[in-house]
Amino acid sequence: MPLLSGCSRGTSAQDKIIVTGSTTIQPIAEVAKEDYERRNPDQVVLVSGVGSSAGIENVSSGTSDIGTSSRELKDEELDLGLVDTPIAYDAIAVIVNPSNPVTSLSKSQVKAIFQGAITNWSEVGGPDMEIGLVNRDEASGTREAFAKIVLDKERFDPTAVILPGTGQVRSVVAQEPRAIGYISLGFVTDDVHAVAIDGVEPSEATVVSGTYPVQRVLHMFTKGAPTGLAKRYLDFVLSPDVQESVVRDAGFIPITAKGSNGG
Amino acid sequence: MADEPRTNDMPSVRGEANNLKLVSRATYFKEATLKNLFLLCAFMAVAGVALIFVFVGYRGWPIFSEVGAGNFLFGMEWLPTKGLFGILPLFVGSIVVTLGALLLGTPVAVGAAVFLSEIAPPKIRSVVRPAVELLAGVPSVVYGFFGLLILRPIVADLTGGLGFGPLTAWIILAIMIIPTIATLTEDALQSIPDGVREASYAMGATTWQTISRVLLPAAKIGIVDAIILGMGRAIGETMAVLMVVGNAPGFFRGMGEPLSTLTSQIVMDMPYASGMHRTALFGMAIILFLVSMGLVLTVRLLSRLREETS
Repeated sequence: MPLLSGCSRGTSAQDKIIVTGSTTIQPIAEVAKEDYERRNPDQVVLVSGVGSSAGIENVSSGTSDIGTSSRELKDEELDLGLVDTPIAYDAIAVIVNPSNPVTSLSKSQVKAIFQGAITNWSEVGGPDMEIGLVNRDEASGTREAFAKIVLDKERFDPTAVILPGTGQVRSVVAQEPRAIGYISLGFVTDDVHAVAIDGVEPSEATVVSGTYPVQRVLHMFTKGAPTGLAKRYLDFVLSPDVQESVVRDAGFIPITAKGSNGG
Repeated sequence: MADEPRTNDMPSVRGEANNLKLVSRATYFKEATLKNLFLLCAFMAVAGVALIFVFVGYRGWPIFSEVGAGNFLFGMEWLPTKGLFGILPLFVGSIVVTLGALLLGTPVAVGAAVFLSEIAPPKIRSVVRPAVELLAGVPSVVYGFFGLLILRPIVADLTGGLGFGPLTAWIILAIMIIPTIATLTEDALQSIPDGVREASYAMGATTWQTISRVLLPAAKIGIVDAIILGMGRAIGETMAVLMVVGNAPGFFRGMGEPLSTLTSQIVMDMPYASGMHRTALFGMAIILFLVSMGLVLTVRLLSRLREETS
């Protein structure tokens, strides 16, 4: 190991870990970082939300110690030597404006809407109003997971508006009666309405029971098995302190909520 | 330069190599140091441009050799995850967004310049001019927010979509380029000698006739200069455009339909792009570089023309 520890006490290179990746996981990683640093004042955790793909790229190239991702590894990422630590469950909610009378859609209707096959709300029991599609950018893990679960990896409607963040999707859907988008369940607020899919409302109970269809696992990846500080940080994230408070407060579902192997 | 009367009382200077400079050694060194410092500054600017060009060119070049200039420049589909790197829709998007902004912004900017230079009484001018200059200092992300929160809902009502698209970008960019075009146009008008105005009024021309038949034609090349520089500002603008244009990388389909541009697509894709995709982004940067180089060269040519005609 290079000896870079000439500086003042407690801030040598080895006492710092870098966590980058999914913006969805950002709230968990950020709050866990603060709690962790409070308990370990001599250690520094740097957290940055740059998107799942960037996180995976960073951890495999060694610029980050931990890469967070809200999607599974792609085929071409499988041989990068990354080790997965699942940290939470999440549901992806399909959101509409609260003024929209449509409160339930089938999974195949959602697919048709996001592929551009259904373009008017009247086709799914709503008013005669054009559907305004809001999609996420390709760096988004939420988009990747949504495409895999709902669209069976087929193409999104290429004419949809693409917004680079969960917050922007939510604010546009909150303002526009004709809009539809998808965000992580943890980010759903009263400004928007999460529709039931195949008659099942997204909630912790329906995710744990496996009945809500659009759900996924949130990951933290390390290059090889986690060691040293990275392992201590991951253990902390998996501890009941974080799982039952931070993860739940962020609107996600603790990884411990299901039995050993859930959905 | 050889012999001027010595002003200082430094006997030792005349000694050897420095005998051309009849000043103190300290002054001589100060002069030489400053000269070289300024040379270094000038060199830094040139080196900066050269290094960026070399770097972007080096990173982007493989897109031309491996994907092919035709597939890259004239490809109809931007689907990097499927290996399709056609930037034509993005290039068209950049042009559409830029031209629309110029069409909206130029009349306002030239009008403002004429008002400031020819019509406004000094008191009003002292309020309007700083306001126009202040527009140039507003960060583009603020324009983006303004577009996203204020303009987008209005455009959504007008066009029946979600309000993301060229129309919103046109309005935002038009406001952003007004200071560039207005200040340069005002400079061009100010550089016309007052004798020209006096001659026109002496012929019995009204203010409007003087402006439209005499001053604007005389400032023509300067105004074109201003518009081209405004165009450079519009085509390179990234953040504000990204926030309101909708970022759907397809061809232009209407004022209220989402669109993407070269700059906004680079920013959208940069965080996760790797391999040939990343190379393609550098290739797009080459194109942007060439476009702005073309614009600057045009401005240089025009100002040479202006010097010759005046």
